[in-house]
Amino acid sequence: MEQILTTPEAGIERPKRHSGATVRNPQTAPPPEVRPTILQDLREIVFDIRNCRDLIYQLTLRDIRIRYKQAVFGFAWALILPMAVVLAGLAVRYAIAFYSGRGLAQGQIAGMAIKAVPWAFFVGCINTTTPSLTSSISLVTKIYFPREVLPLSAILAQTIDSLIGGVIVTIALGFLGATMSAYVLWVPVLLALLWILSLAFGLMLSCANIFFRDVKYLVQVFLTFGIFVTPVMLDATMYGPVGSRIMMLNPVAPILEGLRLSVIRHHNLLHELNAPAGFLFWRPWYLAYVAAWAIGGLVVSALVFHRSERRFAELV
Amino acid sequence: MKEPRLLFDRVWKKFHRGQLHDSLRDLITESARKMVGRGSSDRELDEGDFWAVKDLSFEVLPGTTLGIIGPNGSGKSTTLKMLTKILQPSRGYCEATGRIGTLIEVSAGFHGDLTGRENVFLQGAIMGMRHAEIVRKFDQIVDFSGIAESIDTPVKRYSSGMNARLGFSIAAHLEPDILIIDEVLAVGDMSFQERAFGRIRDLAWSGIPVIMVSHQLDRINELCTDVILLDRGEVVTRGTAQEAIAAYVSSHDAQRMVEGTGLVNFDSVRFDGEPTVASGHRIALRIEGHTTAELTDNIEPILVRVRSLRTGGLVFVTGSKWLGYEFPSPGKFTVCLELQANLPTGSYMVEVAAEDLIPHEDIASATSLMFKVTDERTFAGLIQLNAGFHTLSA
Repeated sequence: MEQILTTPEAGIERPKRHSGATVRNPQTAPPPEVRPTILQDLREIVFDIRNCRDLIYQLTLRDIRIRYKQAVFGFAWALILPMAVVLAGLAVRYAIAFYSGRGLAQGQIAGMAIKAVPWAFFVGCINTTTPSLTSSISLVTKIYFPREVLPLSAILAQTIDSLIGGVIVTIALGFLGATMSAYVLWVPVLLALLWILSLAFGLMLSCANIFFRDVKYLVQVFLTFGIFVTPVMLDATMYGPVGSRIMMLNPVAPILEGLRLSVIRHHNLLHELNAPAGFLFWRPWYLAYVAAWAIGGLVVSALVFHRSERRFAELV
Repeated sequence: MKEPRLLFDRVWKKFHRGQLHDSLRDLITESARKMVGRGSSDRELDEGDFWAVKDLSFEVLPGTTLGIIGPNGSGKSTTLKMLTKILQPSRGYCEATGRIGTLIEVSAGFHGDLTGRENVFLQGAIMGMRHAEIVRKFDQIVDFSGIAESIDTPVKRYSSGMNARLGFSIAAHLEPDILIIDEVLAVGDMSFQERAFGRIRDLAWSGIPVIMVSHQLDRINELCTDVILLDRGEVVTRGTAQEAIAAYVSSHDAQRMVEGTGLVNFDSVRFDGEPTVASGHRIALRIEGHTTAELTDNIEPILVRVRSLRTGGLVFVTGSKWLGYEFPSPGKFTVCLELQANLPTGSYMVEVAAEDLIPHEDIASATSLMFKVTDERTFAGLIQLNAGFHTLSA
């Protein structure tokens, strides 16, 4: 009760530091409006993100923590999607093997297993980044920080998640009869491309989802059916000479196939490779194609994101 | 480094009423334009648009505190959002130089499933604190919030008050170059509010530029060196806290004012001495003016209204007729009005007006004055009853 009607110590006087500094009309003319160049914008994005390292770390930590809080299986969930993909693939391949009368080789299972985790990573990234801005409406409309950190930290959380899956797959590959070769050095390159590609898609989709909520549903449709037009359960070679070329236009396909060829088939991706059926399947320029998608996509989506960023709070 | 300051230069902000798009066709063309950042008409109003802020300019330099007051929807929060870069002005230029500390929605970044401890780090990072800085101040933050025993409980089990207290404590431990405050003074229980206000006052008085929005006019009066009164995006009054608050308070339950009768005129109204009085003591008001004709019975020449700035509400009204005071005949008059401030501590405002009793309209009014009531904590409650103890028998 005592505090209710008292203001804190009346009588303390405000120290006058800037005597005469009053609120006044600004004396300066506003700087002329200049549209920043693409390079300035990109530099600003990098600068912003570097400045926000701690925030990115905290948001990533938040995403990881809440994903498994109150979940009985905890981190085991990180493996569920890749395992489901492998099992579904097994079923499909078993049917094909039975129908064609060729039998199921162990190498095929290993080839699927290595593609399952990166695919799950890609799906996870798209799924978590797309709503990353709209689900943080209260933040976006109330506190300023570079909005890029929201999709970025969603992708980082997904990365940690998939690393666990990656470790387990690596162990499993040994049991599935895969052997080591120098060509596993392609793995980090391909994974880096996948990561950049996911970030590019994530930035673009999260931003688009603010403007049109349809994006969320569209993404669901694409991810559900994407597995049929991406060589995850099946290998691209199984679609024939024309089919495989079409399939490899999907930017994720060369990454997944590249992983399989380099790790399981011990193939140097700088060389061409024929499919078992005899037609030319792997073309080295696929690598350049994917790199163009990833890096070009990242630049474009980062620019679009950055330039529409200041309208988010109004349009959300 | 440049001196920290807040700058608003002829800023306009347009908003749209109702749904953003009326049809799919609108949506596609409109969105395409918005995506590339070229709204067709940032300068003119389309159908359904309105100006949330109209041509607002100010500059807040170190050592000054600007208050913005006004009714709901007058553009106060929009102004702050433009300063914090959440919104972009439609026209004009705004800028905040230096590290911005914002006391706005202090627990907006909290996630219910995380513990208080985890949320302190998260919210701190969102507000722009470095990790090491939060580690260093963590104990202070928890101490200040006064919820140390629940710091490892998920925030979803907190009461809304605890939530707000923790959020405020984090924000209060920023070391900003400039401070932006939006209506966070009413956080938590009374004792926490006092602590929070003390903290804000320390920050504001440390010499940094501060801008604040609040409906608690006594706080505005205490902290702000300058105040802008906004209404529907337009500046109604700008000046000292006294002037702006007086204009605001008397506008929102305004007696209708009739211009130009010229019957009663106030030339000056002031306090005899300092406008500060100890609770229960007397304060005198000196009113000078002149009347131009014989006053009829329906004219109340001196009506006095006292308002509490905390609530804006009337606490006391009287008039010369009510008190049976014989008003002098036409010509100049100098009147002394004594009031006994049987009030709790706080800031109060005195309005002096002349009223026509039949249509119940003010026919003249003088500049409102403010005074402060102080007390050495001799009582608590709504009014000062001048209590005293005497020993009757030992």
